[in-house]
Amino acid sequence: MQYKSQAVAKPYFIAAIGLFVGQIVFGLVMGLQYVWGDFLFPEIPFNVARMVHTNLLIVWLLFGFMGAAYYLVPEESERELQSPGLAILMFWIFLIAGALTILGYLLVPYSTLADLTGNALLPTMGREFLEQPTITKIGIVVVALAFLYNIGMTILKGRKTAVSLVMLIGLAGLAVLFLFSFYNPDNLVKDKFYWWWVVHLWVEGVWELILGSILAFVLIKTTGVDREVIEKWLYVIIAMTLITGIIGTGHHYYWIGTPDYWQWWGSVFSALEPIPFFMMTVFAFNMVNRRRRNHPNKAAMLWALGTAVMAFLGAGVWGFLHTLSPVNFYTHGSQITAAHGHMAFYGAYVMIVLTIISYAMPMLRGREAANSNRSQVLEMWSFWLMTVSMVFITLFLTGAGILQVYLQRFSDNPQPFMVVQDKVALFYWARELAGVVFLVGLVVYIASFFVGSRDAEAVTSTAE
Amino acid sequence: MPVSDDSDTDPTGMMLAVTAESLYLANLLLAPGLAFLALALLYARRHASAPPLAAAHLSQTLSASLWAGLLLVVVNLLILTLGGYHTTHTWIVLILYFTLAHSTLVVCGAIGLARALAGQCWRYPLVGRPLPDGCPRGMQP
Repeated sequence: MQYKSQAVAKPYFIAAIGLFVGQIVFGLVMGLQYVWGDFLFPEIPFNVARMVHTNLLIVWLLFGFMGAAYYLVPEESERELQSPGLAILMFWIFLIAGALTILGYLLVPYSTLADLTGNALLPTMGREFLEQPTITKIGIVVVALAFLYNIGMTILKGRKTAVSLVMLIGLAGLAVLFLFSFYNPDNLVKDKFYWWWVVHLWVEGVWELILGSILAFVLIKTTGVDREVIEKWLYVIIAMTLITGIIGTGHHYYWIGTPDYWQWWGSVFSALEPIPFFMMTVFAFNMVNRRRRNHPNKAAMLWALGTAVMAFLGAGVWGFLHTLSPVNFYTHGSQITAAHGHMAFYGAYVMIVLTIISYAMPMLRGREAANSNRSQVLEMWSFWLMTVSMVFITLFLTGAGILQVYLQRFSDNPQPFMVVQDKVALFYWARELAGVVFLVGLVVYIASFFVGSRDAEAVTSTAE
Repeated sequence: MPVSDDSDTDPTGMMLAVTAESLYLANLLLAPGLAFLALALLYARRHASAPPLAAAHLSQTLSASLWAGLLLVVVNLLILTLGGYHTTHTWIVLILYFTLAHSTLVVCGAIGLARALAGQCWRYPLVGRPLPDGCPRGMQP
């Protein structure tokens, strides 16, 4: 670790992993509720389990992004963080606010939570993924502002690199776009229109910038390829991301009361959205092929290559599968969407956070560059267990989705939603089984932090 | 990407290798059939005289494209013919199979393109021919 203040990343990474476990547990609970409707009812109703599952995902990824920024920005800027104390203070505020919000979801009815938190004064609750009480949303803005100040000042006072600037643009975009969660018009069309400015422009816009910058940073460090080469790739990738992703928002505007031209704009631009992900795959493999040294942290390299491939498959291929307007007419909001959502989030964002944790954590725990061989072998096992099970989760949900679309929307005698849900139950059981394997992979991942922690560090291979 | 006949401008065959991989990907993603014809033409005209790197990528992509045709066209037609057009299960199997097979072939092509850009050879898993001697394979782990 080159700068002492990089150490503030460690609690962020630990919190991220802890919340990740919570997300998966609630995912399994919800997966079981698909086939066993009253499982844990009334203690944890399906809508609450779903809210906790998705909200925990967002929160732990944000913890991961913040940890990543606190780790890589000092190194890129060649100076200590502007205020490590502020970073730690914000960590606790964010963690406590997040924990209280989740407890609120679990312990009181949602409407009571809205009353308790004064939602009537500035109503923002009740929308998918943005269910947080208004007071929590204000807290997120405060944390984001403090975070941006800390990161921004460090970058402005230090060396400016493409990696840190792209990350700053991504993080600033993340904060600015979140402000649309406070806009809650009565008109449902307008509401959905701007709701997507948070949800879509995060995951198919600014978050991709964060993904690109973290991937570039890890590849610079592990491959030894010239920074200039990697930065040129990064520029092209983020340009393609923004060119396709911003107007690509239109693929959410097909059936919500917006003008017809969105059918074309949405279809054409979102059909181009796989391009930056495809480029990312070529980029990652190209850099690894051109590497000048064999970095001892093989697990981090595996995560880096894995994120490029899985992001392309999940976000690119599975996104394209149902993005064209005539196809989306049938598939909208079906299990095909769930399949895409699972693999895209895992490939693009879960894996990139695990990439930077894998790269940085050995140094944060006092190692020179990498964990022991035993620890890395276990971590690579967790990579394969989680990745392969996620592929199966996606395939089973896709199968469920195709059957659902056919029976419910495409056939000559369309059947009711709940009747069809019964008929796709086999796929849900298979998905649940794959989910259990995913949890096993996550447990193995956590075990990799403890197993072999006293063994000698993996050795650096000599460069050719 | 234009392919020069002058070996002075591409002595290692990297441009030719990149062109071959690009045509393989174009056949899968942009212009099925047309890009394959261009690749076959390129193979016929340049393979014999190409440097080892380019020759390897030309033969790998041609072979993988032929397999892709078999896997994506013939197998899907078989699924449709045997399963029946109006059966739900046919469509579940067909869509899942096509998506998996197609995206696997594309990812292999992306890795092949990355290899070509790095001036290294690449053997397509299962469907690629063995690499000739003297083919640069890069740093081994």
